[in-house]
This record gives sequence, structure tokens and C-alpha cells, in this order.
Amino acid sequence: MEGLRAGRALQPALHLPFLPRHFYRAVSSNEHRLNFWKSKELCLSYIQDALLRKQWKRAAEFLTSYIESLEKDFSTVFMGPSEMIWRIGTEILCNHSRSNIREFNSFIEQMKTLGVKRYLKVCLEHAFHLLCNGLVDEAYQNLSLAESWRFGEQTVLQDKEMKLIQAYRGLLDYCSWSNQKNILLEYGKDGLEDLSVAQEMRACFRKAAVNLKEIIKIPGVWDLFVKSYVDLLEFYGDHQEAREVLTDYAYNSKFPANPNAHVYFYQFLKRHGAPKKSLISTLKILHDIVPSHELMIDFNAMLQKSKKRKRRRLGLEVIFAVLDYSGWKENVKAWSCLARQVKQIVISEKHLDWIKEQWNSRKDWWPAFHFSRYLAKRNWQEDKSLSYEKALVAGILLGKDCKYFKYVSHQGCKARVRRFRTLKKFVNEHSPAYLRISGL
Amino acid sequence: MEFPGALFPSYFGCGPPRDEGGPALAAGWGERGEVLGARPGRRQAQPPFVPLRSHEGESWTPAEAAAVPLLPPNVGCWIPAVTPQDILYRGVLHRKLRTGRSGAALDFAKQLGHFFVDHPEDAFGSLGRLLHKNFHLGDSRVRKRSARDTTIRMTTLVEKINHLEARRGCPQHQFTSRLRLFSHLCRDWLFEVPLELLADCVHEELLLQWASLLFDDSSTGGALAWLPPRDASSHMGRLVYPGGLAMNHLYFQDVVLEEQPRARGLPVQFELNGRIRQVAAARVDGQDFVGVRSDYHCGVWRMPGKTGAVPSPLQVICTDVPATCLTVSPHLSGELSVCTQSGAVYLWNIETGLQRLRHDPQTLFFRDHSPWRWSDFTAHPRVLSCADRTGILCLDARAPASCHFDFFKVGEEAKCQQGERVVLPMYLGRAHPCQYLVTTQFAIYLLDERLPLVPVLKWAHMMKAPPLFADVVPGESGRSHKVLLGTSQTQELLLLQYTGGRQTACQLTGPPQRLHSIASCLPHLPAQLPLQHHLLQQRLSIPAAGLAAVQHEQGQQESLMVFQLSEAGDVFYQTLRHEAPPTSVLDQGDEAEAAPTPNEGDEAAAPPGSPALFDSDEEEEEEEQTFYLSNLEVIINDEEEEEETVGTPAAPEEPEPRASPKPAPDVPSPAAAQRYRRWLRPLLRAWVTSPASLCPSGPPTLSQRRLFTHKELAEVAPNALQQHKLQLRQAMRERGCIQRWEPAPEPPTPPPSLEPNALSARLTAAWGGEWGAVGPAGSTLQRQQALRERRRRQKRNRAHRRLSASFTSSVTYQSELSELSEGGTPRTPPATPQVAAVCSPPRTPPPISTDILLSSQELRSRGIPKERRRTLRDYLSVWAEGPQDPPEAPSSTAGQRCIPSSQSQLSSSSQSQLSSASQPRRKRPRMGF
Repeated sequence: MEGLRAGRALQPALHLPFLPRHFYRAVSSNEHRLNFWKSKELCLSYIQDALLRKQWKRAAEFLTSYIESLEKDFSTVFMGPSEMIWRIGTEILCNHSRSNIREFNSFIEQMKTLGVKRYLKVCLEHAFHLLCNGLVDEAYQNLSLAESWRFGEQTVLQDKEMKLIQAYRGLLDYCSWSNQKNILLEYGKDGLEDLSVAQEMRACFRKAAVNLKEIIKIPGVWDLFVKSYVDLLEFYGDHQEAREVLTDYAYNSKFPANPNAHVYFYQFLKRHGAPKKSLISTLKILHDIVPSHELMIDFNAMLQKSKKRKRRRLGLEVIFAVLDYSGWKENVKAWSCLARQVKQIVISEKHLDWIKEQWNSRKDWWPAFHFSRYLAKRNWQEDKSLSYEKALVAGILLGKDCKYFKYVSHQGCKARVRRFRTLKKFVNEHSPAYLRISGL
Repeated sequence: MEFPGALFPSYFGCGPPRDEGGPALAAGWGERGEVLGARPGRRQAQPPFVPLRSHEGESWTPAEAAAVPLLPPNVGCWIPAVTPQDILYRGVLHRKLRTGRSGAALDFAKQLGHFFVDHPEDAFGSLGRLLHKNFHLGDSRVRKRSARDTTIRMTTLVEKINHLEARRGCPQHQFTSRLRLFSHLCRDWLFEVPLELLADCVHEELLLQWASLLFDDSSTGGALAWLPPRDASSHMGRLVYPGGLAMNHLYFQDVVLEEQPRARGLPVQFELNGRIRQVAAARVDGQDFVGVRSDYHCGVWRMPGKTGAVPSPLQVICTDVPATCLTVSPHLSGELSVCTQSGAVYLWNIETGLQRLRHDPQTLFFRDHSPWRWSDFTAHPRVLSCADRTGILCLDARAPASCHFDFFKVGEEAKCQQGERVVLPMYLGRAHPCQYLVTTQFAIYLLDERLPLVPVLKWAHMMKAPPLFADVVPGESGRSHKVLLGTSQTQELLLLQYTGGRQTACQLTGPPQRLHSIASCLPHLPAQLPLQHHLLQQRLSIPAAGLAAVQHEQGQQESLMVFQLSEAGDVFYQTLRHEAPPTSVLDQGDEAEAAPTPNEGDEAAAPPGSPALFDSDEEEEEEEQTFYLSNLEVIINDEEEEEETVGTPAAPEEPEPRASPKPAPDVPSPAAAQRYRRWLRPLLRAWVTSPASLCPSGPPTLSQRRLFTHKELAEVAPNALQQHKLQLRQAMRERGCIQRWEPAPEPPTPPPSLEPNALSARLTAAWGGEWGAVGPAGSTLQRQQALRERRRRQKRNRAHRRLSASFTSSVTYQSELSELSEGGTPRTPPATPQVAAVCSPPRTPPPISTDILLSSQELRSRGIPKERRRTLRDYLSVWAEGPQDPPEAPSSTAGQRCIPSSQSQLSSSSQSQLSSASQPRRKRPRMGF
């Protein structure tokens, strides 16, 4: 054990959350403090236990005792008793059968005054709770109030929380904007001339845009905010800005590789009738990041329709890659895409090398993964059309002696389904193609 | 595969984790996390926002009061677990350890000592043989002249050693200079293996033991696997688990899931040549593949799809360094991944053999000393994940060197804490093909392969130990997926639910729930003798070794069965029943409190919120007291005992916190009770014949031989002593309980022996703690005895009116005391009245001749009322015999104190008793003396 060197040798290999109590013993010098600490810890463990057993009432009773720990809060630990009381109290009030939103509000208000350091966090969580209960207006008020809070120098964490508060307020502004928009659309175009409504909408837009614009500059996952902001910009016709926002969200390297960012950009381009080339390049990047994305089926269809050979080749690669993933294993649509393309290639007898190229990296595991006898049986029982598509692919890729093809075609002929008979005929006719693919 | 249209907002940063100053005990509570606009398709009545942590979830309630044994006990396994007490120096302050500033001190000297005593032949064999002619150990002197020159008499030394042994654990024991001298002399040559070398080796081994005691990751992944039924209609699955003497037997046991799961038939058994650390299983193409990992061997078994088929071993590989991980591919049959401590990751195919994907002794993202590695499969059958303590990397088996991406990093990316490390990564393919679970010692993370580095869900689990085991029960058609987390040392078990991953973003639903640990069934087992109870407690609180869960439907009732394996090889289960949604969140507390079940000696029974909560220390002290008394040992090693009892509920000796309340069902059902009995019977029967029963690991004892000589003891009560001895022997022979400690046909009150011997007097005084008071004057006691006797007689005669008077006097005790002190006589404080009565100089009355005093005229002239005169006369007649002695016998009160009530209980009630006893004397000054 090279890791166990002197010095730190006797410490756990892992920074443990709670070292068992019998590993250390009390000292008598500060026994009083220790006793208090001990009973505090004991009380907390009771609360924890009650919470984990959904005994909310019992937990609440213990919590009233635990509040005493606030009196001697000389802790410098990260999470002091005030935060614990807030967390536990919230949990109890959220789950207790007899709690109501008014009690919850008054509890949270007290908690806000208790811990200065976590004020913003408490406000944010309060707003979330209100939002989840459908109290959007109250949540909005809360957020505005929290936004105006100032206390000393802000830490990085507080700065982040403040930004989030502003963003959520922007989101709520957007919500009221879209409500008004819906009302306007409902009452027809004449409503648009109603200046007061339009002005109000404009005001909402401005407030929302300012806040949303801020947060989406910071690296993160902001699907909700980006969508709302783009919606606002699009409504007022600022497509250039919307495009920039989406491009940045998708391609900025500081942001995580979020598939949704690419999807939004793709959808934006599609809405505005962008040329096929840019659509394809967008999806190509998505393919590189997430080969198993559901848009890959559309991508494949798009590529297959293309007249360029390069794109059709890419299409084959895309659909093969999709079927590598276990989530697509039994997807009829994906299999029929592959079957169609493979069939086309085999019939035209051109570009068999494309199939060969794709097949080379898969031939050692696809037979077991997709074309085992067990799967043939199961697919036949569960989904005939799936087994048809798969049998076609198997027949071409693995030849007519493949277990999957043999079983399915045999069953199909036995059941006297015409298309299985034609399938058998087709595979038999094109067995040279198999030979070329497998390199024999 | 669909990807959620919008994810919950979160910041994304790079770099090392920010400092959060350690674990937070309540970090997992009260947060909504973030909110997200609900799907547009939802009805208007729904609130427009959904939280990351929702409070609405499926409700699962435990069907039993505790975990129930599923299979007969693994009776072969008796190897006791190593405890910190075995390894650490006694009495060393371990508090610093907790703060991480200093390490513990390993007691390798003790281990060496054990080795010398247990294996003297190995330790000193050759020199012992060489020297044994020259050492004389007998009592007699060496006679032969020729021998006298070459022989040393070692008898005294041996005696000294025996003395030392007798005083083991005594805080004041000291090494004699003779012993020290001897050890100094022979240190260099006596030992077979040089002492320093041996000590080095032992210390090294202890270090390893200590490290594994603190955190043992060898059982990561768990050694229990469930092979589900062939088809939905059949209810018979299989459990795969280790057992046997050294946990080196692999069992495949058929289990029928009904109302209660039950084993069917005998298990199929394989003997392996190593302790089984992990059992992993996956079903591919209708066949189950079971991978088994021991330290240096990994094996794979196949369980064919046909019913009634027998598992067949397929292949075994041997590794040079211990393997840390073995996972079975859920995609391709006969494919597994293996990791070793050298940092190598292999893809193991039954047909094509091993393929090394990666070999890097360094960790992935930053330096960490742990050699632990893990690997699992992903949604892509050719892409494997490789994990170490710092994060997870995904690599393509076809081009492992070039095709890889970072999947999870301990750092700001996942908002980790400082010191946080990956404990168990797990592919959740059964729930969602792209999801991954990562547990650390603080939190769990749910990851989606399509969005690496950013966890889609994070929750601080607040468990007391790192979760080493996990299992997932996929929920079908929109239902929540259930994730079970288990810890080893503390046997904790947590049930979480989450939804999403397809159309909607992942959400944690419902509050997390704690399930029963194995140790929780201890109070439900039939009552046992103390020794057996201790054994059971040890047996049940052995760390957990595995976990498996299965959802099962019986008619309309859905149930979740959770199986648990302990390191002793016992398999327990518990059933959770699904409750229909109408009562969405049931407040169990209300129900549980309607019928509270106070448990004797259980602190949890204290009413919630009672003020006694904050006085728990006193309660603990009392508990210790009773503990001492219920033991038959003469002296209990104080310090070690303290370490055990003071421990809070979290101590592994009793992993189930005393705080544990009983959930809705408080008593086990008859079926469960029967299972407990059936499990217990073979266990106890086997224990009686096992070597473990011969050396019960109770608290260490101290021989009493050296405290009192046999002669002294025999003097006390020769008959009683004999009888005690007989009884004790008989009880020991029968392994029974000593129910009546007092068999002696003695009368309840000791006869007023005219000649109480000196020893009993000393003992009595010693009980009272009045060593100083025991003087050479034997007559003092005699007189006191006589006085007591007389006073008793008087009391009987007295009317109860006087009694009430004495009570009133006891009320005025304090004020009288103050009057006394005004009188100028120095007294010891009233807090220790007995001591005062003996030690303070007797306030002798003026030396007046008793005869004069006794005359009634004299009394009258002194203004003493008539009814008091007789009392006084009696009183003084005693005085006449020994006017120098204090009038009160301490023994009357000291006798009370012999009842071992704690000193701290010297409350006002006992004070009032004392005051009433010493009433006559205090009255005296008023009587005009």
C-alpha cells in the first residue's frame, strides 16, 4: 500500500462524513461544551430518523427542542444551526399533512431574518415553493424583494444566487408577457391596436429581456431562460440577436455540451427557413456530440434525400451509429431507415464499400447484440415488422445462413406472410453482396 | 431515445471543488433545487412549475417491524470482526483523529504480546530450548551444587509477571525494575525473529487493518445478486450470495416470491478458494451471467434460461494484484469488465479472452492515493466507463487510447465538496439506457451520458458512511424508478425515487425513506440469556455485504422486496407495500404516536420533545451503572467499557440508533416471529459447539485473587462463600443464568453478633468510603452496634406522633444548621453529613458524671420535659460506657449507602432521612446542654 504513508497513514482512505463515535473519546476539560454538542447531535439524529421515516409530527416536536441550539451557536462550520433549522423546518412543512401555505410563509419569513448569510438562498427557495404551488404573483413579489437586498460584500455564491433571482424574475416577466400575448391573440388582431396592452407587454419584455440576457452569458445550463429570451426576441423581430444568443449557447466552449442548445439552434434555423446546408451542419455537430439523439432519424432522412454522395454516406454512418445504442435496439423506425438504405445500396450495387466500412467496426459484436437467435424469437413474438426490418439487414450483412434471418424467414414463410417470402427471395438473390461486404 | 426538451437551470464551472467545510448533517433537506416550466401539454389546473425535488411520490410502507431472515443462518461463520479496541492503544485520546489533525496510535505491542503468549514456540522456540536447563522455575532452591553455577532462579520473575497479568487494566500498575532489567537484557537475543523486524511487520499489518476498519472498499458493489424470474408469470427467482466458513462458498438459491419470499429446495453450491467480495449479475438474451470477484480471482457462471437448469462455471481469471471491480455486460453475453489495483482495466470476453483497455497507476483528474478502480458498461456496448476516486472517464473499447471523453469529475463541474470522492458508479441501464448513478460519501449524482460532466440530479444523502451498494428497481410506464443505497459499516439502507430522463427532465420524487437494517430485528427476537444476547447483537451488527431489490406483484398488491446480506453470510429481507395514491403523503408519525411502545432501556422511548432530552448524559451514566451491576464480573475495565457505552447511536456496535422509532407495525407478524425462531435455533445450537463460545469476548475481567487472600475471604462467611462457589460452578457447567445471587439461608437482618470481625468492619466502612474512619478501636463499632440496637427498640416503642415530629424537624434542618453555625462550632458542610458525623471532632458534652445526669431531679432542674427524660436517660447510659465516642453510629446511614445508588443521587430526600436520623443530637443545644 503505497498510499498509506506516514503522517496521513492513520486517517481514513476517504474523507468520511461521520467518523464513528467510538473512534474517539470525550475529554473532561471542556466537557460542558461537549455535552451540549453531544445532545445537540443526538437531537439532530432523532430528527433525521423521524424525517427518514416520514414521521413529520415527531420530527417537528424534536425540532422545537433543537431550536435551543441557536442560543449557543459559536460554530464556524459551513452549515450552522440556523440553516439546518431552515432546511428541516421546510422539509417538515412541505410534507406535513396539516401545514398550509400561510404557516409556511411565516416560517420562512422568520428564517430569512435568522441567517444573513443564506438570505438569498432562502428567498430563492421560498419563491420556488410558491411557484410550485401556483402562487406566481407572490413569488414575483418575493423575488423583487430579494433583489433589492444588500448586505456587506457579496461572496461568489451570493453573487450567483442574486443572478439566479434576477433570472427567475425575468422568467416570470416573460410568463406574464406571454399571457398577455395569448390574450391578444385570442381577441384577434384588433387587440394589438389596444395601446395600453401593447405598452404593458413592451414593459414586460424590457424587464424580462434585461434579466434573461444577463444570466445566459454565464456558463451553465439555461434551457428555460434561453428559450424564453429567444421567444421574446423573435416576437419583436430581432432575429439577429436571437441567432447570436443561440449560436453562443450552442458553440461557446465554456458552456457544457448540452444537446438542447443544438436542438434549439436547429429548430430556430428550421423556423426561419435556413438553407439545408446549415441545417445539416448543425445536425452534424449534434451527431458528433450525441450520436444517439432522436433528431438523428430526421437527419438520416434528410441526408438520404440528398443527391450528394457524401451526404448519403454520412446518412448511413448516422443510422448505423444510432443503432449502436441499446436504447434504439428495438426501434422499428431506425431499423426501417437502415433497411431501406441498405436495400437501396444493394440493389444499385454501388457503394457496397460504404456498408463494408461501417460493418467492419461492428461485425464482431453486432451479431451477438442484434442478431442472436434469442432476439429473433423475441422480436418475432413481439413485433413482426421490427423482425422483418432486422431480418433484411441481417440477411444482407450476415448472409442467408445467419441465425436471425433464418429463423425469421422460416417463421414468416410458415405464417404465410407474403413480404417475408419476398424478403427471402431478395436476400437469396443478393447473396454476392454479402460476400463483398464481409470481404470473402 | 428522447432527450428532455428543457433541463433544470444550473451553473457550470470548471476547476477544483469549492470549500464547503465538511459534511452537513441536514444538507439534503428542504430544497426544491430549481424549478422548470411544466410541459405545455399539461392541464391548466396543474401549477405552471415543477421542482427538481418534488414532494409527491409513491408511498411505500414497510410491511414488517424489522428485517426478517430469509435463509437459515450461515452457522459456519464465527470469525469475529476486528474492532478499534483491538488495534488502538487504550486510553489514547482519539478526538484529534476526528478533526483530522492527528492519527490514532496503533497498539502493535499488544499484538506482539498476544503472539508471544499464543505462539511461544514460534516466538522463542530455539532459545527456549537452549536455555531451559539454565532457568529454574520451581519454588524450591536449587540443590545440586553442580547445577547451582549454571542455573538462575527465575521464580520471582515469573511471579512478577503473574502479578502484572492480574493487574491488567489497572490504571496504577507499574513495571517493576526487575522486569524492565530483564527485558533490557534479553531484547537482542531472545526472539526467534528479530524484535524490530517483527514489530515493523505487525505495525504494517495493523495499519492495513486500521485502514480497512475506517473504510473498506473491497466489498464495493455488494456480494448479493438477484436473478429475476424467467417470465412475468412465474414468481421464482434466484439469489446468488456467498456463505460458508470464510465466505468462500457461492450459493445459488431458488426463492419464490409470494406474500413472503421463501427459499425453495437446497441451494446449488460451489466452493471457491478465496473470500467472495463481489457478485455481479446481468441478463443477456435470456441467460443470466454471474460474475464473482475475490481478491485474486474472478470467475463467471452462466445460468441457462431453461427452468430447472443448473448454473455452470465458465471461466476463471487470476490477477497478480487484487481486483477491485467486476461488472457484467447487460448487452453482450459473456462479456465482463475487470479492474485491478494496479490501475488496469480489462474487457473480459469469455470467447476472446482479456483485452486491456487502460493501464494507468495515476488517477484520472487529480492525484489521489487510493488504488481503487471501477469500470462499468454504458448505453453503447463498446463504450466502457473507467472510474477512480477522482472521476469517471468513458472510453471506446475499439480504440481506447484515442476515443474517450470525461464523464464525471469531482470538481466544480458537478458542484462537489472538498474531499469528496467517487465511491460507487453504477450503470442504470434497466431504468434508462443512458443514465448513470454515482455515489460519493456525501451525495448521489444522476448523470446522463448524453450530457457529460453536468449531473442531471444531485442530492446530499446524509448517510453516516459512504454507500457501497446500490440497486435500482425500474418503474415501468411513467412510474418512478427506485434506487436503493446501502452502506457497509452502519448497515444503513435508503430508498429514493426519481422520474424522468425521456420527455421530462429528471426529478427526485417523494421524500427519501430509511429502511430497516439487519440489526433492527434484535429487539424482536425471543429473549435470550445475556451471553447469547451479546452474541446475537454482535452477529446482527456485522457490516452489511450486499443488497438486492425486486419489485413484485401479488394480485393487486405491489410490493418491493429488499434483500440484505451481512458479512457473516446471513440473508435478510424486508417487504415494502405500495399504497394507493389517494393518501398521497401519509403522516406516519401520527399513527405511530397513537400507540407508543416504550422499550425498556431504550432511550428512544423518551417522549419526543421532553426536556429529558438534553439531560441525556445523566441517563447514560445510569445506564452504565445498571450495566455494571448486571454483569457478574468482579471489576470491569472502566475505560473500554466507557468507550462502548458512551458511543452515540451511530456506533457500529449497535448500528441501529437507539433513536429508532417503531414504524407502523410494531411487532413482527406471526410468520415473521416464526422465522426469527427458526433462524435463531440453529444459530444458537451451532454456537454452543463452536470454538467461539469458549472465549466469549465480554469486557475484560480482573482476577480477584490478589485483592483478598483466601483466608481473609473465608473469614467473612465461610459457609456462604462455599455456597456461592458451588452455585457459580454449577451455573457455569450448565451455561445457565445465576438467578439468585443470594442463596444463603441467612436471616434478612444480620444477627447482632457480639464479635463482628475486623474484616467485615473494614469492608462496611470501605463501602461507605470512609477509609479514614476505620481506626484500631474495635470497641467503637461494638458500642455503636449496641446503641443502634437500643435505639431501634426505642423507636418501636415510640408513638408515631414522634415520628411526625421528626419529619417537621427534618424540614427545618437547614435553618437549624445555620443556627448551629451561629453558635460558633465549626462544622463540615451539610452536603456530606455522614462524613461530618464521623470526622468532625465530637462535640463532647461537659464532663459531668453520668450518675448525676441520670437522676431525674437533675433533669428536671435542667428544664427537660418529662416525656423526654427517659429517652435522654437511655441515651446517656450508652454514653456512660464510652463518653469519648460520637453518639451516632455512621453505620445506620452507611448501611443505606451500601445500596449502590449513584453518588449523584444524594438528593434532598436522603438528606432529610439523614437529618431525621441524627435528630436527637441536633436538638441537644436547645435542651440546654
